[in-house]
Amino acid sequence: MKMQYQKQANIKKKEISEIERLSEGLEDYIVLQDGHIVTKKVSSAFDDLMILTYDEALQSYPALFNELVNVKHPSSDAYQYNFDECNSGLLLYLPKKKRISKPLHIFYVATTEEFTHNTFLYLEQESELNYFEHLFSDAVGSYSYVSNAIVHEAANLTYGALSNLGKDVASYVYRNASVDRYGISKYSLADVGDAIQLMYQTINLNGEYASGTSKTIAITSGVQEARYETLLEHNALYSEGYIEHYGVANNESALIFEGIGQINKGMKQSIARQQNHGIVLGEKARLDANPLLLIDEYDVIASHGAAIGKIDDDELYYLMSRGLTEKAAQRLIINGFLSPVMSLLETDTLKNMFLKRVEEKTL
Amino acid sequence: MATLKIINLHAEVEGIEILRGVDLEIKGGQTHAIMGPNGTGKSTLASVVMGHPKYTVTEGEILLDGKNVLEMSVDERSRAGLFLGMQAPSEVPGVTNSDFIKTAMNARLEEGKNISLFKFIREYDRAVEDLKMSEDLPHRYLNQGFSGGEKKRNEILQMKMLKPSIAILDEIDSGLDVDALKIVGENVTAMKNKDLGLLLITHYQRLLEYIEADFVHVMMKGKIVKSGDISLMKKIDQDGYDWIKEELGIDDERVFVKEEEQKVMLGTCATKEALDL
Ligand SMILES: Nc1ncnc2c1ncn2[C@@H]1O[C@H](COP(=O)(O)OP(=O)(O)OP(=O)(O)O)[C@@H](O)[C@H]1O
Ligand SMILES: [Mg+2]
Repeated sequence: MKMQYQKQANIKKKEISEIERLSEGLEDYIVLQDGHIVTKKVSSAFDDLMILTYDEALQSYPALFNELVNVKHPSSDAYQYNFDECNSGLLLYLPKKKRISKPLHIFYVATTEEFTHNTFLYLEQESELNYFEHLFSDAVGSYSYVSNAIVHEAANLTYGALSNLGKDVASYVYRNASVDRYGISKYSLADVGDAIQLMYQTINLNGEYASGTSKTIAITSGVQEARYETLLEHNALYSEGYIEHYGVANNESALIFEGIGQINKGMKQSIARQQNHGIVLGEKARLDANPLLLIDEYDVIASHGAAIGKIDDDELYYLMSRGLTEKAAQRLIINGFLSPVMSLLETDTLKNMFLKRVEEKTL
Repeated sequence: MATLKIINLHAEVEGIEILRGVDLEIKGGQTHAIMGPNGTGKSTLASVVMGHPKYTVTEGEILLDGKNVLEMSVDERSRAGLFLGMQAPSEVPGVTNSDFIKTAMNARLEEGKNISLFKFIREYDRAVEDLKMSEDLPHRYLNQGFSGGEKKRNEILQMKMLKPSIAILDEIDSGLDVDALKIVGENVTAMKNKDLGLLLITHYQRLLEYIEADFVHVMMKGKIVKSGDISLMKKIDQDGYDWIKEELGIDDERVFVKEEEQKVMLGTCATKEALDL
């Protein structure tokens, strides 16, 4: 791995004020800019969590770092490429039986033209972490973000993400989790950015009774193109995987969801479920959901469905018949549709930011 | 005091005329009831007054206090004081009952003004209690998974909150058990005042045991064919509609005979042309 760190650039005024605004009311958060921690406001609840940039980890804990990053990576060239080329890295290591239920917010800021970031989350047995990441950038450039989570036996990872990348960004986001016996990983990903977006999520259920959930919410507008792929692979008996996609496509944008539940041979009594919901707002917008079940075993429970269409005329009429303008009625329906993510946004600031972006994008 | 005037109203859907000259005047303080067999245009009349986009008015007028209702959008009509308790209200997932009504109430205020949250909650809770609905109603999604009776009660709850000047209640009694009918009836009656004009669409006299009606109208073939007082309703309850049809020389009271039935009729004398249809 060649770590090409930038000298700590002067963080731009505009970005500082944006982070200050977004972090308002958050108790625990970290700002990582171009691979450097520039703000760390973390309470003692996180004392057990090791928080290190790759830079620091290599210098202070080379043995641990090498041990951790040498665990089997998901067999993805993209992942490997990102890991080799990263110019920003963050390691979060939680020892055995340490449980932290408070969420930790991380703001990833890129001021460089190329941002290649890598986050490593390592949860030892029976530990618990609630992680929430914010991806945003107004820069012109390419943004590549990878996170890899190792969830050991009976550990519990709650992973939230809010991404808001500008229209001049081409972004590639890859998130992976490997889950051991009785481990749980629960991803909730919301994207309200304008970037050309490719997002992949894989959860490998490697131990019996491992459970994985991936929920994605995305809104596209303008001429934006975005594609979200979710793969839940069952490599163990009694494993459970859930995929949910929610999308709104406005204007002439194209939004594609690919969801794959894969149950390999012999992984009996596994559960694979998938749901896709979509609202097509723009006359020329495209929203495709392609749910797929790849199942090589009989003794399983599996289901998938897709409900995609325009806003129901009768629903709109019903709301308007009580005095709501068409715009207000539409807003209420869309916000309602997106409500599964609202509960994840802890502070009013984040909720308002989300709603404002939704409004801007669905106008 | 509000007055709703419907004058020679004709309306069609997908090119088929359903309302064929409806005349009706409802004044504040009055309660009217419209009866009539299935498929005679009662719900269509209600939808056209509210402004459902599916229907096109081809002739006639609707005036609310002299203002041209037909020029108003659906939401403007509501804010002007019209209310329609629907026969089959929609389910709207993700939108809670209380958010919905709060937004609707705020829409009635000046731009930028909001109803006080405290006042709203108090009023809403009281309405929930009055209608004997479950306490978690405010947080449940609008009509989602509601039973037929719950949906109807929710319509009345919305009416209570929005305080319209003209309210049309389309089969508010269908799907209600005896107890619920009593609750709904009493709540509507409690709302009666000299400023509220009510139009009840119903098939049964039993609703009028709880909500007294001053005028009773019968609709057939897309228009009001007979009007009277409560004794008309009592006669229909006993004898049905045949005597009215006979009196007026109506064969088929429906607005139009369904296509399938026409096909069956054609099928019995299946000629090549008929099959080509
Ligand atoms: N949107 C529509 N599209 C097609 N046909 C319609 C539509 N709305 C109403 N109709 C037709 O118009 C006729 C009158 O319907 P309407 O619902 O007004 O009857 P109604 O008197 O309310 O009947 P009911 O007592 O069964 O409620 C029916 O034949 C119905 O099928
Ligand atoms: Mg009807």
